[in-house]
Amino acid sequence: MPIEQDYSKTEHGTQPVESDHQDLNGTPTLPSFTAKNSSQTVNTLWRTLITPNSPNVTPNSSYYELISFYVYHGLLVLLYFNIFIFGLITFSINRTKLWFFELAYNPSKSPSVISADIGKLNKIPKRVSVILNLKPEETENGGISGLISDSSEVCAWVVASGIKYLSIYEYGGELKNNIPELRRSVYKKLAVYYGTDNVPTFSIKVPHANAIYYGASDQDIDQQRYKNTAHKPILQIVLLSNVDGRATIVDLTKVMADLTTTNEISPKDITVKFIDDELKQLVGEEPDLLILFQPYLNLQSYPPWHIRLCEIYWEPDNDAVTYPVYLRALQKFSTCKVNVGK
Amino acid sequence: MFPKFFTNQFPLVMYLNGLIEDGIINIVKTGPVPQHIALVMDGNRRYAKVNGIQLKSGHDAGAYALVEVLGCCYRVGVKAVTIYAFSIENFNRSQAEINTLLELLKQKLLYLSDTGHYAERYNVRINIVGNKDMIPNEFRSALDKVEELTRHHTKRTLNVCFPFTSRDDITSSIANVANRVLSEELAVADINLQQVSNSVIDRTSPPLDILIRTSGHTRLSDFLTWQLSQNPTSTVVFTNTLWPNFKFWQMMWILLTWSYYQAINASEIRIMTTDN
Repeated sequence: MPIEQDYSKTEHGTQPVESDHQDLNGTPTLPSFTAKNSSQTVNTLWRTLITPNSPNVTPNSSYYELISFYVYHGLLVLLYFNIFIFGLITFSINRTKLWFFELAYNPSKSPSVISADIGKLNKIPKRVSVILNLKPEETENGGISGLISDSSEVCAWVVASGIKYLSIYEYGGELKNNIPELRRSVYKKLAVYYGTDNVPTFSIKVPHANAIYYGASDQDIDQQRYKNTAHKPILQIVLLSNVDGRATIVDLTKVMADLTTTNEISPKDITVKFIDDELKQLVGEEPDLLILFQPYLNLQSYPPWHIRLCEIYWEPDNDAVTYPVYLRALQKFSTCKVNVGK
Repeated sequence: MFPKFFTNQFPLVMYLNGLIEDGIINIVKTGPVPQHIALVMDGNRRYAKVNGIQLKSGHDAGAYALVEVLGCCYRVGVKAVTIYAFSIENFNRSQAEINTLLELLKQKLLYLSDTGHYAERYNVRINIVGNKDMIPNEFRSALDKVEELTRHHTKRTLNVCFPFTSRDDITSSIANVANRVLSEELAVADINLQQVSNSVIDRTSPPLDILIRTSGHTRLSDFLTWQLSQNPTSTVVFTNTLWPNFKFWQMMWILLTWSYYQAINASEIRIMTTDN
């Protein structure tokens, strides 16, 4: 019987990394499929043509195999070039479309405009999640301050839409490291939208650290209002990152395994509902809608348990956090029918 | 390339069609090829409704599309294909439809795994992945037979997820680890990501590269969420084509664009996926 290849143990392709922060310079990076400019892409295509890195061709291949390989490979690079041109055309079309949307859907920092837009929809999600990206400092709206500004903007739109629950996922967890600044920024943004006398109450929860923060700062005179359990904040924000995904499930497994050794639970008690209840405490509820403000669909290791039925929305070739993308996501959500298996 | 009714009438056209398809496959083979593709075969019922045919015929058309897509994937060099045949949530459907689906699945799998047929020709091992306790008894023995017949194949894998949800899969992985700790095969301190990634798919297939969902819905419906979060370069493709219409050219287009992005971003992908 031939030995089966056990993929859980080999180094084939990618292997599950113990800690996803183990990158070259400590910052997780993602391929930016549209950030490359045209000359770089053409250069890469040329290099692909003349130095193909293919296992099909070895020094022992016959002349026929070599020639047929290079002919087919040449045709492949030609097809790549056509895809590149097609990509440029669709990029221009999408960017123009986004530019028109920005002109047409301008909320001008007014909750009533947003409410009017949302009022036209026949259903809105109860819980929204967004994936934000930390951009390099030198880009527009880049760095930590840009990320915090974008997060605050999204909070304002969510409050104006009447949605009470927002989770913000950022792969590296930078928002969790800048809570005081985030709290102030969210407060200021809501004050711009609603006026300083009428700022909606909000809470920021970090499930991984088991911490919850109310309002703009701990010195806020409204802290007493928040502490009153009868008063729930108008907006509950949850900050998630890569550690809330598989790493949390691994930690939960360790706890479960430990409890079985002390006979407090048995492996038979580990059911879907049980794990669901635990992960609701540890990470939060599953969102109804997940919005990605990036040009392509990449879930960036979003917590796997929480992405079961949620609608995923992204705008191709868009890399900015803008209101039209948010509104279009809600519009798409309002038209979709969830059958849950039926 | 040419409409099916046309090619079926004229053998020469069929031959030319086959040549062109072979040519495209040889072209795509010279570039990066995904190792593991997952398919959510959505749209059979809508296809039946749109074409005014019976629901059973819609599912039949879906089965034909599956065989064609599998053939095209294996010829290009994909090692593993995972298909979402039946979700645990699908047990909410009417009993008649459930029976139709189960019967169709049984027939197709028995046909594929029979001697001299598909599985032998392409050297495909068929795994039934999911919560097998939920399979009705009359189908269980047939599915066990399919797995037995193809167990010795090693070159390629077909994971038939039936009945499956990712949450159930993750839960059984956790329970599996707990059982191993209880029987002292594993210490609590040794539990890591690799230990928890112990489902059948993780053990027998390469990391997931592309997940394709047809018929336009942009959600995962509890399919392979764990595997998707594992591989930072995995892609999800949502296409508006209904599953029975998803054939060779749609699959080739997806493979080609994936291969293009892999070639363009090769150096970045190497950084992202090596353990530094």
